[in-house]
Amino acid sequence: MATRALLAVISASPSRCFISSSRIKIQSSVSSLSLNFQQHSRKIHRIARSYSSDTDSSLLQPPDVSRLAETARISLTPAEIEECETKIRRVIDWFGQLQQVDVNSVEPAIRAEMDGGNLREDSPETFENRDSIRASIPSFEEAYLKVPKILNKE
Amino acid sequence: MSTTLFRTIQLNQFTLLGTTLFRRRSNVVSVRCCGSQTTTTTHEAKQSSQSRVAPKNHKSNKLDEILKDYEAVIGIETHVQLSTSTKAFCSCSNNYGSYPNTSICPVCMGLPGALPVLNSKVVEFGVRLGLALNCDLSLKSKFDRKQYFYPDLPKGYQISQFDIPIASGGYVDLDIPLEFGGGHRRFGITRVHMEEDAGKSIHSDTGDYSQVDLNRAGVPLLEIVSEPDMRSGVEAAEYACEMQRIARYLGVSNGNMQEGSLRCDVNISIRPIGQAEFGTKVEIKNLNAFSAISRAIDYEISRQALLYNQGKADQIVTETRLWEEGAQKTVTMRKKEGLADYRYFPEPDLPEVILTQEYVDSIRASLPELPEAKRRRYEAMGLSMQDVLFLANDVTVAEYFEAVIGKGAEVKLAANWIMGDIAAYLKNEKLSINDMKLTPQELAELIAAIKDGTISGKIGKEILFELLAKGGTVKGMIKEKDLVQITDPAEIEKMVIKVVSENPKQLEQYRSGKTKLQGYFAGQIMKMSKGKANPGLLNKILLEKLNAKE
Repeated sequence: MATRALLAVISASPSRCFISSSRIKIQSSVSSLSLNFQQHSRKIHRIARSYSSDTDSSLLQPPDVSRLAETARISLTPAEIEECETKIRRVIDWFGQLQQVDVNSVEPAIRAEMDGGNLREDSPETFENRDSIRASIPSFEEAYLKVPKILNKE
Repeated sequence: MSTTLFRTIQLNQFTLLGTTLFRRRSNVVSVRCCGSQTTTTTHEAKQSSQSRVAPKNHKSNKLDEILKDYEAVIGIETHVQLSTSTKAFCSCSNNYGSYPNTSICPVCMGLPGALPVLNSKVVEFGVRLGLALNCDLSLKSKFDRKQYFYPDLPKGYQISQFDIPIASGGYVDLDIPLEFGGGHRRFGITRVHMEEDAGKSIHSDTGDYSQVDLNRAGVPLLEIVSEPDMRSGVEAAEYACEMQRIARYLGVSNGNMQEGSLRCDVNISIRPIGQAEFGTKVEIKNLNAFSAISRAIDYEISRQALLYNQGKADQIVTETRLWEEGAQKTVTMRKKEGLADYRYFPEPDLPEVILTQEYVDSIRASLPELPEAKRRRYEAMGLSMQDVLFLANDVTVAEYFEAVIGKGAEVKLAANWIMGDIAAYLKNEKLSINDMKLTPQELAELIAAIKDGTISGKIGKEILFELLAKGGTVKGMIKEKDLVQITDPAEIEKMVIKVVSENPKQLEQYRSGKTKLQGYFAGQIMKMSKGKANPGLLNKILLEKLNAKE
């Protein structure tokens, strides 16, 4: 149902949006940051819904870019942090708008629905091209992946 | 006799658990509670007398003192590796011990564009375990991504279930062995969820690198989270034992702790008795034996109580500690600055998992008798708790036992033979009960032959060992070796008279008060009969002759 709500937001939003049957691409004014939502074999419902267009971003915390960078294991310069902050903030504002949608009367869908069997039989198959997978591992030695010594998780 | 043997096993186990804390060395053989390889365990009867009293002595120790003032609160997370043919989300084979990095494909290697497809067996096993643990099942559940970075996790996230697990709100019933105080316990099960395993890292002692084998990456797991209902190391170890037992009864896992098919992480805190809020929780990892669970917890209780008593309770911090088997203590692995941020979000590549009520009902109908039900049934047969726990511990032993009594053998006699000589034989030969040449049919025949007096108990034992070693039938062996018991009083009397008359010196000593010599005479007569004389009759006639006034 979140997807439906999202579509409702998209359809009413001032930004341009492209909707295809398998992929929704939102292109907002944040040109370098686009969000891709993938859907698998699912009908798209376009529903009209009224919602408040006022973005109340005070509901959501501003991004802590330094922490985000740390959790993603990437290094950013202070200039990059500043640049990212405005961009990410705009994305968060989008979600601020989403949160305004009244979904009280809607039964939540926990995942995309799929018709029929979506399970696999438990019968083994060997992936034929294992050699090329192993060949593409940057550091492969004596049957093992060789990685820097790390003893602590998290 | 068998019962005595079994008691010894149990008691020694306690002794083993006790040694760390009490620094008391007893030279007994240690026996694991739920041996992962051998099906049954036993050992020499010699030690029974010394260890029978052990628990009481050990109980009056430091730990007991501590537990007068403090209460431990323990919860356990158990990872059960499923014995499916393939991994959870791809068709790579799930085979322990394969050559490293051979069971891999784009899905479990996390290559871009590869999409996971759930293995139907994982759902089936999840439902089986959920039902066995008396849980409510979610007819709709979903998968989520748990993000963290580690070299053995190719995708950068683990596919797991976060807010909607497949099963939740259950419980497990178990019996604490008498040696640990006995009693029946019920521990809550918070949830059971499906997830995938990570690869295996091998950290070399030397060198600045680690090696990773991704054969295990994507292998299906069920994680069982308990309520914080346990209060001692013994309870926690028994809980873990029961998880292994249930997994094996259900056939969802081999439950082998050495191979890592059953892994337990323990959460423990202590609090002064009477305090409502929990103390600071410490997690203990690296527990790969039931005895380690029990000892690590007892160590941790002592460590935390000491800090409390010294007014240093603030030094008990949220952290992960490792159990060091060699040093028999826990050490800090990492301190947690706060809750780990796994940034869970719904797995977009997998649809929700939908179960129909018919599917759940069909699995419920196919569940085997579970350990708790078996124990209650054995108890109702009149077996002692020791017998019950021994026989129901291993499903293959239980099946054998039931096959023997199915052939008409008396319950208690069947239990005694299995727990005594047979268990000892299997342990010595390192065999499982399924590898044994003695069939349930023949054991039932043997028990019947002794009971109806065809052969003596002593001959019965000899036949048992022959059958264990070579196979064959009881009837065939009795016939072949002419082992039928002599029950004709006249024939026994002849032998008695002969032996008594051949030993005039011993007879004189006997009649002058050395009545212990009766055993000597009985032995001689038994020897003469090649062990075939009925012992009851023999002793009766012998006594008459010895005490006859001439």
